Parts: sequence; structure tokens; C-alpha cells
Amino acid sequence: MFKDLDPILHSQLRLAVVSLLISVKEAEFTYLKEKTNATAGNLSVQIQKLKEAGYIDIEKKFKDNYPQTICRITKQGIKAFEDYVKNLKNYLNP
Amino acid sequence: MSDNTFQPEDSLKLINNMINTAKNKLADDGFYIIFWGWLITICAITHYITLKLGVEWGQWLWAILPPAGGIFSFVYGYFEHKTKKVKTYLDTYLKYLWGAFIIGMFIILIFLPVHGIKQTYFSLMILYGLATFITGGMLNFKPLVIGSLFSFSFAVLSVFLSDIDQLLCISGALICSYIIPGHLLRISFKSQHV
Repeated sequence: MFKDLDPILHSQLRLAVVSLLISVKEAEFTYLKEKTNATAGNLSVQIQKLKEAGYIDIEKKFKDNYPQTICRITKQGIKAFEDYVKNLKNYLNP
Repeated sequence: MSDNTFQPEDSLKLINNMINTAKNKLADDGFYIIFWGWLITICAITHYITLKLGVEWGQWLWAILPPAGGIFSFVYGYFEHKTKKVKTYLDTYLKYLWGAFIIGMFIILIFLPVHGIKQTYFSLMILYGLATFITGGMLNFKPLVIGSLFSFSFAVLSVFLSDIDQLLCISGALICSYIIPGHLLRISFKSQHV
């Protein structure tokens, strides 16, 4: 039914993450969790799927001895998001 | 968030919500604008008063307070950077703008005073106005843009005044383009981040 819509992006949480990352340069995992109201476990799984698709980069480091996860959208992710929005518009206004 | 009932119609709404969440909040709390506005205004007004009273020490404030303010800003910026959960493109653009402002200010302060303090004050006010005009535009915050126009106006006015009275122009420029818009920016920032 939604064959033109990228299945990686056509998921509520993954689309929310990509929409947030498209607007900023980079964001911490805790920021994404706060803005999407997702659980840490679910968010972890979904950002991993986005990473495997090449849509986001994940950088893990330490800040004040605490692990810190920073996410950034990639060029491939921007392209996929743009295509998704284009296809969405075509779907909604055929 | 559940995908069970996620329809294409919901996608657009979600995209809009998320982009607005990330974008709509003011990116700057006005700390540096307020801090430097007050610091330089205090230097300029104290220098003016001491010159009027015929004492010399007022000029030494310029050698003490701005470098001390620079160190404080650096330390504050270091800790602020550590606590930020998100970096926007706007943060980067503002960093480059104010970086260029600091470089420009150093060049003016090093090379212009030998040609006359009048040109120095004039150039600094133009630079103040330029930086706040662009910052106001980037943040979409009109008081900064309007304030910067006062800075340009005080720069023009200063051309017709004596060196001593130019210190009042600097104070006026900073009050209108830094202190007042800076405090308004802080109020708006706080109201959006409650």
C-alpha cells in the first residue's frame, strides 16, 4: 500500500528521530529520548536500525566518566528523508 | 510510540512536530551579550567620569576588565558546551560570527589607536552594530536588529563629537544594542525553556 515510502523511515519513532536530527547538527541520545518520549531500550534499537541503513552516524564517547551517545544525520539520511517527504506528498496528493 | 496505526497522514504531522520542537526555541540565552554589554559600558562610563574629574586611572580599566571578562567567558563557554545536549547549525554560525567579531575587534584595538582614538571608537561601534544586526536576523529576534541600528546611529553621531564624549556614544550604543536587547532575549529564552 505504501510501497513508495521508505520502510526504514515509515516508522513513528525512527521518523521522529530523523526529523529531529534533520533540524540540528548533532544531538545526544538523552535529547532524542526526551523529545520523542521513547524508552531508552526502544530508542536504542531504532537508532541502531537507522545506523545500519546508513541514515545516521552514532558516536560513543565519555563525558565526565559517563557514556555519551551522539547522533548525526548522514548525507544518505538527508537524501532518504527528502525522498520520503516527496513520496509522502505524492501519496497524499496523487 | 507505536507503529501499529501509523498512517502516511500522521507522518507529515510528526515531521512538523519534531522539526518545530528542534527549531522553535531560541538558540541563545543572551548571556554573552548582556555580560559584555555591561562590562564595556561600565568601562566606558567610568573612563568618561574619571576624564571629566581629571583623573587618569579610568583608562586602566580597559586593560583589566575586558581581559578578565575574556577569561571568564572562556571558562563559562567551556562548561556551557559540556552541558549542551544538542548542537544546532545556528550555534555554529553564531560561533563563526562572534569569532570574526573578536578577531576584528583585536585588529581595530591593536592597529587603529595609533591613528587616533576617534576612529577606534567609531569602528568599534560599527562592529558592535554589525554583529548584533546579524545575530538578531539569525535568531529572528527583532530587538537585537533594532538595537544594532542605534549602534550604527551612535557611530555616526560620534564623528561629530570629542574623544571624551565618544565614550558616552559607546555606552549608548551598548545599552541600546546589547544590554536592553540582551535582557529581552534572556526573558524570551527563559519563557520558552520553562
